[in-house]
Amino acid sequence: MRPAVVAVLVALTLLLTACGVVAEPDAAAWDERAARALSDAGSQVATARLALESADEERTWSAYATVLVAQAEEAAGKAAEDLSRVQVPTARADDAADVLDLLDQAVDLVGEARAHSVDGEYDDQALLDALDRLADELRRAAP
Amino acid sequence: MKRYLAVLLGVLTAIGGFVDIGDLVTNAQVGARFGTSLVWVVLVGVVGICVFAEMSGRIAAVSHRATFDLVRERLGPRMGFLNLVGSMLVTLLTFIAEIGGVALALQLVTSVHHLLVVPFVAVAVGIVLWRARFSSIENVLGLMGLALIAFAVALWQLGPDWGELAAGLSPAEKPGAESWATYAFFGVALFGAAMTPYEVFFFSSGGVEERWTEKDIGVMRANVFIGFPLGGVLSVAIAACAATVFLPTGIAVETLGQVGLPVAVGLGKIGLAVVVLGFFAATFGAACETGLSTGYSLAQYFGFPWGKYVRPREAAGFHIILLAATVVAAGVLLTGVDPIMVTEISVLFSAIALPLTYFPILVVANDPDYLGEHVNGPVANALGVVYLVVITVAALAAIPLMIVTSMGQG
Repeated sequence: MRPAVVAVLVALTLLLTACGVVAEPDAAAWDERAARALSDAGSQVATARLALESADEERTWSAYATVLVAQAEEAAGKAAEDLSRVQVPTARADDAADVLDLLDQAVDLVGEARAHSVDGEYDDQALLDALDRLADELRRAAP
Repeated sequence: MKRYLAVLLGVLTAIGGFVDIGDLVTNAQVGARFGTSLVWVVLVGVVGICVFAEMSGRIAAVSHRATFDLVRERLGPRMGFLNLVGSMLVTLLTFIAEIGGVALALQLVTSVHHLLVVPFVAVAVGIVLWRARFSSIENVLGLMGLALIAFAVALWQLGPDWGELAAGLSPAEKPGAESWATYAFFGVALFGAAMTPYEVFFFSSGGVEERWTEKDIGVMRANVFIGFPLGGVLSVAIAACAATVFLPTGIAVETLGQVGLPVAVGLGKIGLAVVVLGFFAATFGAACETGLSTGYSLAQYFGFPWGKYVRPREAAGFHIILLAATVVAAGVLLTGVDPIMVTEISVLFSAIALPLTYFPILVVANDPDYLGEHVNGPVANALGVVYLVVITVAALAAIPLMIVTSMGQG
């Protein structure tokens, strides 16, 4: 048999074998992605907090603060969405629910911050405190 | 007196024109994640760009010919073509990033999404490249770019613990949560941002455009050896501002708005307005420089008339390239690609293309047929060779580091 034919057969065999095997989701890889998503979301929550505080102290104009918080909302949403698309390993089923819940909270809260920014309401202390608490929680959850 | 004013103007425009979207984003990202532990890379990059900008400026002043023209003649069409492809792709990528940067800067003022602003920015850049005088582009935008000094003032106002910032300069002070691979990745990106090839091509082609002679070498050296290092100080100030405000709060920089936020914290609205003006000037100026560099490199290699001092009708090919590059840049941005991501890729590929750009300059700068008595001295050659080793290591490491760290994420 010619070497080229052998090579093609080997390649086809490998391809078919690969198609036939469903890889078990890797727990370590999921942990890494979850940590990255939590860290990204924490960064966005802290950014929204700082943008609102700066706008409240009249250190930025409204368009600047709104753009910052809107971009933070978009990035937090992307972090949550990216992780939610990854198949959860069996060993991480419980952890995954907690992590995804925390990420959803981040998206919701930054969305609320964006709405406040659009309305020019920068001095909602309850919102600022909630952003602080969530940023801390996300930081602690991301190892 | 006129000569001193020329030196002063050259130095000021060199400072204001040193920082572009790559420097803004990369320095802020690095400051937010690594504090000041990568500042040494900026210093190494600034010395490197000074070494090669001085060589290419000297080549332009003595030979009155542009770099690509000489590279093709001296090293042959094959090496010249490799040099052209490597440098031009990176310059085009940087051009796209700069136009995106202008749109992002305008978004911070108007809150209109940058995608809606891109076509207007592209038209404005196209008109400036077609109609504006070379000296106007260089001087007006370079001087406006000095607004970025607000970063240094903001750092002073933020009142950081200077001892802590100074102690953080050591690579050993890298934050424990970051891996050495990520540290190296950002080091390479920062080096690529500082030594962007287009700066050297624009500088030397500008020398040919402005008809430098041997008498101008002194002014050229003052621009390079005073202006570029002071521009590097602005880069360090951006990183230090991000380190002061973002590092303790765990904020990672992903948008241009975040880059300016420490200035808002330190100086308030007026300082922020000045720095956003600086963003606009730096990115618009660099968009013009990279756009022109694209035209320069192709026209010089293929040997047709080029330059802002040549009438558009006589340099039709050059102006068509400028127009095509602007259309391509706007088209790429209108696909919805994130300009910050384009910037991150452009600084990395800039690092990869560095040997292709700087090796030929070193060869030409040693050729007495072109430079006569102005060939490289032992110091320029020693520095040139050392930097060739450094940029080769950075270029070889860039792709593996990009893969291992998932573009600096892990």
